[in-house]
Parts: sequence; structure tokens; C-alpha cells
Amino acid sequence: MPRRDEPALTEEDPAAEWVRDFEAAARRPLEERMRYAFIHTYKPVLDDARFRAFDTMADYRRWCEESLPGWLGYGRDL
Amino acid sequence: MAATFDYRQARELADAFEKRGVRYLFLGKGGAILLGFPDTTQDVDVFPAKTPDNCRALVDALKHLGFSLSSGEEAEVARGKDFVQLRGGPFDVDLVFAPDGIESFEEAARRAQVVAGMRVCHLDDIIRSKEASNRVKDRETLPRLRAFRDWLSRRSSD
Repeated sequence: MPRRDEPALTEEDPAAEWVRDFEAAARRPLEERMRYAFIHTYKPVLDDARFRAFDTMADYRRWCEESLPGWLGYGRDL
Repeated sequence: MAATFDYRQARELADAFEKRGVRYLFLGKGGAILLGFPDTTQDVDVFPAKTPDNCRALVDALKHLGFSLSSGEEAEVARGKDFVQLRGGPFDVDLVFAPDGIESFEEAARRAQVVAGMRVCHLDDIIRSKEASNRVKDRETLPRLRAFRDWLSRRSSD
């Protein structure tokens, strides 16, 4: 229970948190930002071939829908 | 497994492409990160111009960077297939010759920005492309990307 002279705790607007992230990132050099931004973990199916080529984006999107686990997020529905 | 894409590799890619006259733009969340967007991604998306000369130069640059391509694979990149996924090189990269939501390379190149020598699609194009792709992972990213665009716009007008 907050004291009367203390502001009640409220859930923060996520946009305000994002803005703080944007401002903090702007203070970091590109090299440092990239070090933490690009990550690499194994993605089943997607990473199992060293080369794939698709004639059209529609072919590629269809392959993603049909072949990749939904939780990877490459399809239009989970 | 390939190494995680880092600043040094990004600069090497940009240098190899520039030296061979490859016309390209970084796209996707990776492109947004180069523009300052604080987030994480596993994808490096490159949008090359789909002309025969550019595709041939692209193959040459990829080989210089250490991507091992069979003659058949070289031919597929040189033909500018709409989407080429490369694994097993120094880093993983997707070549997106016809990104959703972007009318043409020329239009995108006119709006592009250069960050530390790397050519990057304008944030509006990155957002448009994600809106058009409309995948689960795009829908998750878009609200924050739009907020970043608004923040950039407010910052530049201050």
C-alpha cells in the first residue's frame, strides 16, 4: 500500500520504455549496437541447407508456410 | 554454424560490393538496426539490383567474401532469382531481389541512406516491406519500428 505522499505505482506506457531504448541506443556507437543486435541460433529446416533459391517471392513465402515450423514466425499464421 | 554477423563483416561486405560496383541495400530488421533501431535479429537481408551486370558482380563479391558457390548456384544468383538464401559462408545472408512492398530498386536506392559506408533502405521502405510481407515476425516488430520512425522524425525536427 503506497503512503499518501507517494505516487501510486502504475503500469508504464510501453511506448515510453521504447523511447528510452531509442535514446540509449543513439548514444552507443554502431559497432557496439551491432554486437548485441545480430544473434545467431540454429533455426530448424531453415538452416539445414547451405543454399536455396526461389524463382518468385510467392514461391518462397509458400515454402516458408509449408516447410518451416510455425513458431519461427516466417509464416502468416502461427 | 556461421559466425554471427558483426560490424567488421558488414564493412567487409560493403567494401567488397563497392569495389565491384554492386548496387545493393541492406533491408529488413538488420537494415533498421544499422539505422539505429535497438532490437535483435538473426537475419541479414540484402536487396541487390536485379540487372545482369549487377548479379555477375554480386557473385564475384560473394566469392571474395568467402561464400562457396557451385557453378549451378552461381548461375542462380547471376539470374537474379527473387530470393536466394545463403548458408555456410562467413555469415548467413538472404539475397532478396524482389522484396515485398518495394516497387523497384531504383526507387529504394533514391531514398536510401549510407551508414558508415553501408547502403541501407530508408526506414519507410523497411516498414512498407514488413507490412506487405505480413508474417508473424513482421507483425510483432512493426509497432516498435513505427514508434522508432516517429521518434527519429521528432528528433530531427527538434
